[in-house]
Amino acid sequence: MKQKISALMDGELLDDDAEAVLDILKRNPDTHEEWQTYHLISDVLRQSSHVHVNISSAIRERLQAEPTVIAPHSRVSHNVRWFALSAVASVMALTLVVWLSMQIGPETAPQIAMLQSNAVHSASLPANGLDDYLIAHQEFSPSSDVYGMTSYVRTVARHQEDK
Amino acid sequence: MKAGCALIVVLFFAAAPAFADTGRQVDLDWLQTIAFAKHQTDYSGTFVYQHNGNMETARVTHISDQNGEHEMLESLEGPRREFIRNNKEILWYLGDHKTVQVERQYSGKSFPALLPEQLSALNENYLIYTAEQARIAGFDTQAIVFQPKDTLRYTHKIWAHRDSGLLLKAVVLDERRQMVEQYTFIQLKIGSDIELTQVIAGQSTTTLQQPSNFATPPETSTQTVTNDWKVAAVPPGFKKIMEVRRPLPGKKTDVIHFVFSDGLAGISVFVETLGNYINRKLGLSSRGAIHVYSKMKGDYLVTVVGEVPPRTVMQVADSVRYKGQ
Repeated sequence: MKQKISALMDGELLDDDAEAVLDILKRNPDTHEEWQTYHLISDVLRQSSHVHVNISSAIRERLQAEPTVIAPHSRVSHNVRWFALSAVASVMALTLVVWLSMQIGPETAPQIAMLQSNAVHSASLPANGLDDYLIAHQEFSPSSDVYGMTSYVRTVARHQEDK
Repeated sequence: MKAGCALIVVLFFAAAPAFADTGRQVDLDWLQTIAFAKHQTDYSGTFVYQHNGNMETARVTHISDQNGEHEMLESLEGPRREFIRNNKEILWYLGDHKTVQVERQYSGKSFPALLPEQLSALNENYLIYTAEQARIAGFDTQAIVFQPKDTLRYTHKIWAHRDSGLLLKAVVLDERRQMVEQYTFIQLKIGSDIELTQVIAGQSTTTLQQPSNFATPPETSTQTVTNDWKVAAVPPGFKKIMEVRRPLPGKKTDVIHFVFSDGLAGISVFVETLGNYINRKLGLSSRGAIHVYSKMKGDYLVTVVGEVPPRTVMQVADSVRYKGQ
């Protein structure tokens, strides 16, 4: 399972496999921790500027460790309760963020990869470098069997993106 | 869910023959006729090629005689770019006074027919059925649809001349049925009175004046190898049809070239040392339905080229491994 999660994160799984792993992730809450640990490892390895750490459980523990004040109403206890409420709200918000990032994480990853490659793409290139590969490919591609020489039009055609 | 899909597919196949002309499963002989026509018919015509919102025209002329096949493709707009093919030899002429000669090594290609393996692969990976009949460039055609069974490849729709089987129109559609590229003949002449001299001989003298800057070394230098690279995640249905170490124009050292085929679309994987890397950009680029994705893998450059959607070439590129890793 660990290997599969790692492969999924690296985008090495086929669609069907990826879906299966995501399914398992959704169903087993214990795998969430592995998922997060792997992300933490990869963030640290890449020296990413923001490391993704789930601190919600730590906060919850600290909150539970806090003594419950049983005392007559006073201004102070009121403040404590407000603090506790706002802390609970923060924890919930944080949990929501973590949950959301887990929900959308796998889907956004490929898009980000696409955007990056597009950005590289627009940086321009000499057209001929690509043509060599295209011609080498078309020599052997089965599409030439059906389309014949007309498939070479892709190489003959002018390409705005090359210029 | 999968069982449901399978059931629908089965039902489709079972029900399809019951319907009249459209939606009928295509007789594989028809595909043979189309492949045969492409190689054995004499024709000359102008077609419009549309891709990425661009539109341009090109002319193609094809002659088959006792000396074999001669073919020329030229762009009619912008800088002069053309291909001339004499049997297995391809001359690639660019407007910038440079001729590249490419030798064809793949003997299967000179045979004007689809191999049985290719036909069965087509049948496994695509639903092939007939669509409407249409009139294109003055000829009656029959449309045939190749609908993939997954989203890792494109849908192809072709319009073939009902008499000769010649392709008069072809469109490639993505999973949302959006056009990726299309070509349509707007004028076409079929028959024996196509002038050979004017087309091939006249052009080859032009190209002969240009010294060949890059001559691909002859066949013998291409060797089948068992190399240390493997492609781990080829999409289902794609089979390896070739794996060679070969020279590539403009490269100092040989590249490893894998070719995978699903019967209609091809995926090439090139692996080369970074010494070959001359200002090549990385990432994704496209030429109509062909997508190219380059990435570095250690000291090597991996380039994947195929008539498949962008994510398919990216997935294949990401799965290229050095054996033992």
